[in-house]
Amino acid sequence: MDIKISEEVANLLKDNGLKAEEMEKVIKDAEESGKKLESKDGSKCLAKAEDDNLTCYALYSASNGGFSLDSGYAHKMKMVGPTGGEFNVEAADEADWICKKCNENAIEANVDMTYLGVTRPGNAIVCPKCGDMYLGEDMVPTIKGAEGILEEKRG
Amino acid sequence: MEQIEKISSLCPECLRNISGVKYASDDGKVYIDKECEDHGVFTTLISKDVNHYHKMENFFEVDRASPKNHLGVTEKGCPLDCGLCPSHKQDTCLAVVEVTDRCDMGCTYCFASSLMDDSKDPDMATIRKMFETVKYYSNDPTCVQISGGEPTLREDLPEIIKMGRDLGLTHIELNTNGVRIAQDQEYFDRIIDAGIDALYLGFDGVSDDVYMKRTGKNLFEVKSEVINKCRKAGIGVVLVPLVANNYNLHEVGNIIKFASNNVPTVRGVHFQPVFLSGRSPADQEAKITILDLLENIEEQTNGQLKVEHFTPALMATAQCGATCMTLVEGEGEFLPLTNIEQGSLNTSTDVASKTKKSIMGRWKGSSKNEDSSEAVGSNKCCGNTPLTTVTVPQESSCCRSTTKSNGWAEFIEMSKNRYLTISTMAFQDVWSYEKGRIENCCIHVVTKDGKFVPFCNYNLSSCNGEYLYRDQITT
Repeated sequence: MDIKISEEVANLLKDNGLKAEEMEKVIKDAEESGKKLESKDGSKCLAKAEDDNLTCYALYSASNGGFSLDSGYAHKMKMVGPTGGEFNVEAADEADWICKKCNENAIEANVDMTYLGVTRPGNAIVCPKCGDMYLGEDMVPTIKGAEGILEEKRG
Repeated sequence: MEQIEKISSLCPECLRNISGVKYASDDGKVYIDKECEDHGVFTTLISKDVNHYHKMENFFEVDRASPKNHLGVTEKGCPLDCGLCPSHKQDTCLAVVEVTDRCDMGCTYCFASSLMDDSKDPDMATIRKMFETVKYYSNDPTCVQISGGEPTLREDLPEIIKMGRDLGLTHIELNTNGVRIAQDQEYFDRIIDAGIDALYLGFDGVSDDVYMKRTGKNLFEVKSEVINKCRKAGIGVVLVPLVANNYNLHEVGNIIKFASNNVPTVRGVHFQPVFLSGRSPADQEAKITILDLLENIEEQTNGQLKVEHFTPALMATAQCGATCMTLVEGEGEFLPLTNIEQGSLNTSTDVASKTKKSIMGRWKGSSKNEDSSEAVGSNKCCGNTPLTTVTVPQESSCCRSTTKSNGWAEFIEMSKNRYLTISTMAFQDVWSYEKGRIENCCIHVVTKDGKFVPFCNYNLSSCNGEYLYRDQITT
């Protein structure tokens, strides 16, 4: 699978402490399993990989028969589940994304995110059918800022 | 009985170096036993719960940086020719400069001596030398607390502060009872103009009963007025209650609640359990351990701030102090950020660097130019200078529509201006004295003859009131 990473994106990965190989694996796994978000205009995909300590995201697009990585980011917080127990699909705003696996319009919803003993709601992109939760790139500065504050207090 | 460690201590009667043992008794309490060949055996309670004692020890992982300089020659060894001697292992986080022994309060209890003779006050040249001592012994940045006696009895205090500024001291805070500041706006303005960074305000309670007991004066209104003045001036305040049994232990919850209603002007509450040096109650009944205090805080805040939310303070040892950092969500509503059950991140910054950062950052006025005239609880978005080292870009989601979830953006906002540090420090007296704690101490008192003496050494007195160091300076 051909995955292009521009110098600009490579520097971004470095700043975010991510490796190109990790991003490539996220994209490969997403393409094989179909587990990803696709923008409604079909131009972009968002996929993630989660382990115990980190959730990594690859934002990518199709390019000349292969793919090109547009952005990569990560958070240490755990997404626990819908704030208040369940998603209120009726009241939620529709997101600009479709869950490719379910072929379902994703919504913007509050999910509880927890880190170092503190749990609060954060805005996420959620598939109302399978319940998969993704952090949009616009939330990253907030979440990383909060992680930093919590780590500073703990040390 | 489980032995924890052998310690080096002092005889409470004759201040002779003696050895002792720290151990857990069969009932799960931690004691120090020590024996002087002339004066017998002394037993002191250190913690009433050995499990909590060990939890604090296990959490405490620190690196140390040495002082910039040591005394060249010593003869008698720690703690008898202190200044700092070559066996001292820890750089300074806070240097205490006493600018007078005079005090207008006449407290029934105080670790310091107090006279009313201003001829004993150090002159400007001496104070300059004391500030230069700070620069000589401690690495940058340098944090100084101007203390006493009551420093505001000096007319030239603004000039003293300005001199410290001109000499390049990084942070200068003022330890005060607040009486003069409450009454004399012109004087307070001069202190502000001279460049004071924060007030360290004696604050034993929220009721006049407490103040009457210790000082014979109604002082709660005075303390409130000081906080109002600091709010207007954008100067941060740390409330400093002395805590003792049969005195104000029942008010610790209300003190914290009062503090929470006065963030961001009030940056923290620093509880100081009574220690038996200087003018002190003759009986041991007044003494409380850190755990006693934390249990009372848990009970009196209805379990919002629990014992487990307090982690070891970054001081000499795990047993020197405890700290809880919390956000204030509403009146008396807390979101504690620290928890001893989570274990520490083993970071590689040394004790003094971290503590200095904490003193300079969190205990300083939050935003002198931004929200000095605003009421407590105002909720500005994005405009304030972050107090922490974490910077959040302007486009972060706290500026977005509030119909979307902004729990973490609120959290970041709270951490800028709804932030409270609850801490306590167990100063040592001649009963609890451990040489190992002294050698790692990072709070140092500057003497008039240009020495640096760890705070607990400086204030230590025998059970007969004989000081190890302080008398040598004041008489």
